[in-house]
Amino acid sequence: MECRVLSIQSHVVRGYVGNKSASFPLQVNTICINVSPVLSAGYSHWKGQVLTADELHVLYEGIKLNNVHHYDYVLTGYTRDTSFLEMVVDIVQELKRANPNLVYVCDPVLGDHGSMYVPQNLYPVYKNKVVPVADIITPNQFEAELLTGKNISTEKDAVEVMDLLHAMGPDTVVITSSDLPSRLGDRFLVSLGSQRHVRPDGSRTTQRVRLEVPKVDAVFVGTGDLFAAMLLAWTHHYPTDLKTACEKTFSVMHHVIQRTISYAHELAGPGRRPSPPQLELRMVQSKADIEDPAIVTEATVIS
Amino acid sequence: MECRVLSIQSHVVRGYVGNKSATFPLQVLGFEVDSINSVQFSNHTGYAHWKGQVLTAEELNVLYEGIKLNNVNHYDYILTGYSRDISFLETVVDIIKELKKANPSLVYVCDPVMGDQGAMYVPENLLPVYKNKVVPLADILTPNQFEAELLTGRKINTEEDAIEVMDLLHKMGPETVVLTSTDLPSKQGDQFLVALGSQKISKVSDGTNTDQKICMDIPKVDAVFVGTGDLFAAMMLAWTHHHPKDLKTACEKTVSVMHHVIKRTITYANEMAGPGKRPTPAQLELRMVQSKADIENPAIVVEAKVLQKSSQ
Repeated sequence: MECRVLSIQSHVVRGYVGNKSASFPLQVNTICINVSPVLSAGYSHWKGQVLTADELHVLYEGIKLNNVHHYDYVLTGYTRDTSFLEMVVDIVQELKRANPNLVYVCDPVLGDHGSMYVPQNLYPVYKNKVVPVADIITPNQFEAELLTGKNISTEKDAVEVMDLLHAMGPDTVVITSSDLPSRLGDRFLVSLGSQRHVRPDGSRTTQRVRLEVPKVDAVFVGTGDLFAAMLLAWTHHYPTDLKTACEKTFSVMHHVIQRTISYAHELAGPGRRPSPPQLELRMVQSKADIEDPAIVTEATVIS
Repeated sequence: MECRVLSIQSHVVRGYVGNKSATFPLQVLGFEVDSINSVQFSNHTGYAHWKGQVLTAEELNVLYEGIKLNNVNHYDYILTGYSRDISFLETVVDIIKELKKANPSLVYVCDPVMGDQGAMYVPENLLPVYKNKVVPLADILTPNQFEAELLTGRKINTEEDAIEVMDLLHKMGPETVVLTSTDLPSKQGDQFLVALGSQKISKVSDGTNTDQKICMDIPKVDAVFVGTGDLFAAMMLAWTHHHPKDLKTACEKTVSVMHHVIKRTITYANEMAGPGKRPTPAQLELRMVQSKADIENPAIVVEAKVLQKSSQ
C-alpha cells in the first residue's frame, strides 16, 4: 500500500501525544508518515521549543523544492498559535492543488467539558478557514457545539449539528464523545458519526452511526491524537463504510486504553491514583491490537 | 519487555535517517523510544535541497531538564549518531554521564559518525571530542573502517590489523565494537564487503574474560543509501539486547535486517526510476514501514564466522 501522510503535530521526547501518538500506529498500518514536530513537553513540568509559522513554512519549502510535496493525507491536531494554524491552512490548500484527492483529517482541538483550552482567537480560524478545507473532522461535543453555534441535548440535536458541520465542508464527521445518556447506563458515553456520500446517480446519501463507548476512570493524554490517526487509517481501508471504520477505531482505542490503565494501576499500587508518566499510553505494547483490532464496540446505524 | 531507549538524533519530515530511521524499527521490536531531535529538516542533505532548524546545545539541555524535573530520567539505553556541533556533542556527553549515574547498567550505543572512504564529512574538531570524551563512555561502538582508523591512529590493511584496531577501541571503552564496513578483500569476491565485530566481556565476579571476534561477508549494493548506518546502530541495540553475550547472532540478525530493507528499497527505487535510470535520493528512501515483518523476525541471510573465541 502506497499511502503518504503529512502529520503536523506536537512532538514529545517522552510519551505519546501528537505525532508520537499518531506515527507508530499509522506506520504499523503501513502508512508512511512524514511528521513535522511542533514542541516537546512533559508533565508537572514541561520544557521545550515551539516551531513558529515561519519555521513551518521553511520546512514545507524544503519539501516543495524537492518536488516531493505529494501527499494522500494531511493530519493535524492540537495547536495554540493562529499564525501557525493559518500557515497549516495554506499548506493544505497547496497540497490539495498538487493532489485533488488529498484527504485532510482535522481534529479541531478547542476545548472540552464546556471550556476552551486554546486561545479564543483560534476559534474563528477553525470555523472560517480550517474546517472548510477539512474532509474528516473529529470534534468532541463541546467543539462541535462551538463550531456550529448549536447545543446538543438529544441525538436529534447531534444529527443536526453533524449536518451543519457537513455543510461547512467535511464529508465525514465523528463526534468523539458526548454527554448524551447511553442506552447501556452511566458507565458508557455516546459517540456519533456521519458520512455523506454522492451516489453514482449524483444523489446524496448520509450514513449515520452511534456507539456506546465504555468510560474509563482516568485522564489520558494523547488518546484524541490516536483516535484521529486511527480514523484516518480505518476510513482509508473502509472509505464508504463509516460503521466499520468507527468500530475498528474505537476498538483500537479500547485495547490501548485497557492495557494502559491496567499497567498504570500496577505501577501505582493499590488505592493510589496513577501519575501522568504511569498513564502514558502503552503504544508499542499494543502493536498487535493496532494492526488487527478485535471489535469490542458495535456501531448502530441510525437514520 | 520494559526497555526504554533515549535516542538523540536528527529528525527529517520526509524519509528515514537519524531518529526516523531508528524509532519505528525499535518500537516494532517492543522498545520504548524517547527521542530528542537534534535537528529537524525537511529531508536528508543528499537531496538537491534541504531546509530546517537545528537544536542548540542549550535547547538540548532545556529538554533534558524537563525530563529530569519530572524524575523520569531513567533509561536502559542511549543511542546517538550523526552530529556536527562540538558543544552539542559535549552536552550529549554530560547527559549520558548523568544518566549512567542514575542507572549504572545503562548501555550507550554510539555511532561515531565522522566520515567515510578516507574523508571526514563532519568538522575536524569533532574527532578529539569523540576520541577523548564520547568513545570512553560508549558500550557499543559502530564505526566504519575510516572512523576506526581515525579514532585509533592505526591503518587497517589486513584482518590482523582490524583485530588490533578493535582491541585498541576496547581499551578506549566499549566492550562491543563492530566495524560496519571495510575495504578488506572478501573471500567471496568483489561483490562483497567485509565487516568485523569484537566483544570483550569481563566478568568481574570470577575474573573470566570472554572474547568473541567475528567477521561477515556482506553483499555490496550498487547505490548510495542514507540512513542505513542509523538503522544498523538501532538494530545492533535491539539484537545485542536479545543476545547480550552472542555477538555472532546479534550481528547476523542486524546485518540480515539491513539486507532485507536494502533489497526491498533498491527494487522499489529501480521500479520508480525506470529502466536504465539511476534512482533519485527521494526514490531511494528506505522502505522502512514495508519491511516491518523483516524487522520483527529477520530471516538470516548472512552467516558470521567466528574468528577467535577464548575464555580464560
